[in-house]
Amino acid sequence: MDKRGVARLQLGLSYAFLVILAVLVLFPFYWMTVTSFKSETQMRSLVSMFWPSPFASENYEHLVRKTDFVGWYGNSVFVSVSSTLLAISIGTVGAYALARLKFLGRGFLASATLITYLVPPSILFIPLYAQIRNLGLADSLTGLIVAYPSFTVPFVTWLLMGYFESIPEELEEAAMIDGATRFGAFWRVVLPLSAPGVLAAALYAFTQAWNEFLYALVFITNVKLRTLPVGLSTFITGDVYGWGYLMAGAVLTTLPVIAAYIYLQKYMVEGLTAGSVKG
Amino acid sequence: MAISTARLPAALEPGTQRDALRRWLGPDYRMGFLFVAPIVVLTLALVAYPFCYAIYLSLTRKYVGMPPVYVGLENYVKLTYDGFFQRAVFNSFIFTFGSVGFKLVLGMVMALVLTSKIRFRSFWTGVLLIPWVAPTVVSALNFLWIFDFSLGVLNYLLVRVTGILSQGVGWLSEPNTAMASVISVNIWRGFPFFGISFLAGMKAIPGELYEAASVDGATVLQRFVHVTLPGLKNIMIIVVLLSTIWTFNDFGIVYILTKGGPGGATQVLPVLTYEIAFGAQRLGEAIAVALYMLPAIAIVIVVLSKYMRRGRR
Repeated sequence: MDKRGVARLQLGLSYAFLVILAVLVLFPFYWMTVTSFKSETQMRSLVSMFWPSPFASENYEHLVRKTDFVGWYGNSVFVSVSSTLLAISIGTVGAYALARLKFLGRGFLASATLITYLVPPSILFIPLYAQIRNLGLADSLTGLIVAYPSFTVPFVTWLLMGYFESIPEELEEAAMIDGATRFGAFWRVVLPLSAPGVLAAALYAFTQAWNEFLYALVFITNVKLRTLPVGLSTFITGDVYGWGYLMAGAVLTTLPVIAAYIYLQKYMVEGLTAGSVKG
Repeated sequence: MAISTARLPAALEPGTQRDALRRWLGPDYRMGFLFVAPIVVLTLALVAYPFCYAIYLSLTRKYVGMPPVYVGLENYVKLTYDGFFQRAVFNSFIFTFGSVGFKLVLGMVMALVLTSKIRFRSFWTGVLLIPWVAPTVVSALNFLWIFDFSLGVLNYLLVRVTGILSQGVGWLSEPNTAMASVISVNIWRGFPFFGISFLAGMKAIPGELYEAASVDGATVLQRFVHVTLPGLKNIMIIVVLLSTIWTFNDFGIVYILTKGGPGGATQVLPVLTYEIAFGAQRLGEAIAVALYMLPAIAIVIVVLSKYMRRGRR
């Protein structure tokens, strides 16, 4: 085969694999959305399997009127936003210190942060629950807001350390020669330049908190205080009708993270690769 | 490198107590300590202390609401001979290695597709990453519905649309297919992370290497084996180890899809931990289940963190 033939074959194969991967990736989301708009009658009868006919809003109505879904949504927003703000404030200053400042124990702390990021929640969740209960925060949203930084802060710190290290140190030195304090150099020079990194870190912290399941399942017993993932998982009933509003809830739970991701894809892809791996 | 030598000459001048402090604690110690204090407090309170407490609890007989009674290694010894536990260990390894292996292959395919000359590359990159950002619980629930025996779309496609099977399969209720099903969901969710990391790694390989290989008459396959794979070695090690830790400790997918069933066929350690702790209320034993594999996980974490730190420099 000549060179152009090889190139064509390569491109053809690429498209073939792309189509397969895209279908595999998108089908569950398509199916979730279609299901959420089907009426109970349509689902029972297995007609027009791949498109709602007619479009029914009954699942969404049921979700809003007859379940605690709206309250859970509020809980998830409150917990995710608060814990993200907490993680970003702690992580940003910590990452700057670990990336730039010279003080005793820096190397040790940098390693400890990375190792903390790698310790899995399935090892920690029982003693962490005991700790949250000791603090009087069991069965409260505050308990989750306090607990989530245990995994978001190490991640944010690790990601931002990489970001800060990539900013030339000369910029801060120049600012300090011009009379800025060390803090001023951090606040007015480094932080604005790292805005995309901080944004990516915040988005990831938010997504991790929004998606978190195990801690929310263990720490919260009050039905009204559930977050979305736990609330949705309690909808598993096995009957046909349950699937309709369960999928409606799934659509509404997925929307904010996918919307944020589409809008800020560039930063998130960068953040993802910088945060865990750097070539 | 804990203390820089850059400012030492100034600090060495005969001076005040403050200079001695700066020499000992580092030139930026005041701002440094202030800035890392929140992380230190958080890590001690939410990770280090609970972790040590966990080790202690695993050496006790502890029921919810009762004080712990020290029993030494009894929990661990009992587990070693416990059939349920042995099965969960075995299943965890199958789940982990099955998932990670396929994620590696699919991630490589994804990265190769996304570095080829297809149109709308960044759009497709975004699309293929969606499973990674979507909430795991939602994805698991989607697949629970897709796998449903009587009304699920998978059986519908295989029986009614294509006729590949003559009757539906209870994907999650039969021991033979349950493990494969939960593994496939984990692969679905996790392969984009492999893909995007390999993609970043491939972009970092200098183009001259490929040109030189082409000049020497290397085929496409030879270039992949002799240029791409060696260039990705570090990233592959990091991603595989990271994913091994995450997959080994994945709770949501198995818990939502099978709760470890049918009859323990998909029981993995995190779900078993949860069930012993909050179903049977035996906390000491539950933590022993969670910590049993700690030495192995610790080795992976230490090796991984070395590679990740090296990747940064």
